[in-house]
Amino acid sequence: MDNGIRIQGLTKSFPAPRKGGAEHRVLNGLDLTIGDNEFVCVLGPSGCGKSTLLNTLSGLDRDYQGEIRFGARPMTRAGKPPVRMGYLFQDPRLLPWLSAERNVDFALENSNVPRHRWAEIKDHYFQLTGLQAFRGHHPHELSGGMAQRLALVRALAVEPDVLFMDEPFSGLDELTARRLRVDLLDIWRRTGKTIVFITHNSYEATFLADRVVVLSQGRIRREIPVTVPRPRDYDDPALFAVSKEVSATFIAAAEEAERARAQS
Amino acid sequence: MLIKVGSMIAALLAWLGLSFLFPETVLPGPWQTIQVLADNFANGDILSHLAATLGRVLGGLVLAMAVGIPVGVLMGVNRLAEKTLDVWVMVALTVPSLCYAIFAFIWIGLNETAAIVAIGLTSAPSIAINLWEGVKNIDTRLFQMARVFNASRWVIIRRVLFPQVLPYIMASLRFGLGIVWKITVLVELLGRPDGVGFELFYWYQLGNMQQVLAWTLLFTLVMLFIELVILQNLERRMFAWRPEVRI
Ligand SMILES: Nc1ncnc2c1ncn2[C@@H]1O[C@H](COP(=O)(O)OP(=O)(O)OP(=O)(O)O)[C@@H](O)[C@H]1O
Ligand SMILES: [Mg+2]
Repeated sequence: MDNGIRIQGLTKSFPAPRKGGAEHRVLNGLDLTIGDNEFVCVLGPSGCGKSTLLNTLSGLDRDYQGEIRFGARPMTRAGKPPVRMGYLFQDPRLLPWLSAERNVDFALENSNVPRHRWAEIKDHYFQLTGLQAFRGHHPHELSGGMAQRLALVRALAVEPDVLFMDEPFSGLDELTARRLRVDLLDIWRRTGKTIVFITHNSYEATFLADRVVVLSQGRIRREIPVTVPRPRDYDDPALFAVSKEVSATFIAAAEEAERARAQS
Repeated sequence: MLIKVGSMIAALLAWLGLSFLFPETVLPGPWQTIQVLADNFANGDILSHLAATLGRVLGGLVLAMAVGIPVGVLMGVNRLAEKTLDVWVMVALTVPSLCYAIFAFIWIGLNETAAIVAIGLTSAPSIAINLWEGVKNIDTRLFQMARVFNASRWVIIRRVLFPQVLPYIMASLRFGLGIVWKITVLVELLGRPDGVGFELFYWYQLGNMQQVLAWTLLFTLVMLFIELVILQNLERRMFAWRPEVRI
């Protein structure tokens, strides 16, 4: 099945905070096509609408104009989204009254993953994220980074075809983050998923992505393909070169957005 | 626990000290009161009075929760309901409990139903307000999380909404109990031929301070037992996952 994403003319506005004020247009006719099994990283200044984009793509927010398709299947105004998705939110969003393991079970219970595979899947991802010893802990007993890793376990455990990740590694130390990036690429290569990954880190984006897109003022400002062959070496100078271009584009877009805001 | 026991001993000593300053008809000492209480147990129908009162407390509490919880939750989740109901909840809260009791006894009659209706309706507004405030603190981001992971509406209500409301339900249960038992005694003195409130009023009319204190003591001890031993333990067990708050 084709799990690419086609976004056409996506426009999203939030109602004016005060009566009579202008509505706040966050996404403004955004077009983006993401291939099946493609890994796309989205970069953009804070507040430019990256999380908003994921909320519409995931079907949480259906109050938008434009069209979203997964393969040939359109996102409808109500009902279940047409693909199996995982979403790693910007904040962990764990159920505080359940243990780490039960939090993962909660997601599994509502997924299509057959019960006899749960144990194996959980073992695998808890091991991978270094949380094996913390399965019985409650979220308040985990550090911020551990909670984020648990959310990662949950998002991966349901074996989604499309995975949305909102700055998943930003709260982690560099060593853990590096390992998890490599692991994520490994999982992606083995299981085949379409991944939309949001980050503020241009080097991370370059290392991970097939394509980096820069979002600003409600639209995709630029798309930068990363052609460096895989598997990639984190210290490959070729990555540095692309990353430099990515961050230059990002800064240009951010400055442009600032000027536009100053003018209005 | 040690602190609680210590403060209870201190209160008893203070009572003992004060009782020396006043004549027995005004403030009998703890020992005399306990003796009266023991005599009552030996040759009175103390248990049937206590049972009558506890029955009304329970009935009133159930009614108060049955009315207060849905109203409070509705006000917490629905804007329109909040705007329509908040004035009325305030009105209901402001009407003195004595008025509820009088209305109930006049409209329904001098019977058990009227007593329970009066008790329940008096306490319902406080419970509604408690839950209303609580539900407003609910983390709606967790509903989004549940929806992304394909949870049905029913699963979300049961496994994401309910656990978040439960602490407020438990808090309102304890808090409601505190109100309900005070009203029960009032309702009993007004329109019932038995129960702790009836006995209190009876001995008050006879000017028997020892009996008044004995009944007060009995009732307070029973309610404290329910509150401290039963409800607190239940709550501790239910919310064991919560981080301990130390001040
Ligand atoms: N529920 C909402 N109601 C009103 N405005 C909102 C809402 N959610 C987001 N916004 C506005 O939309 C804009 C984009 O928000 P969004 O969370 O998508 O930004 P972001 O790109 O993810 O930023 P960051 O990198 O800081 O996470 C912001 O200006 C924010 O104020
Ligand atoms: Mg965001």
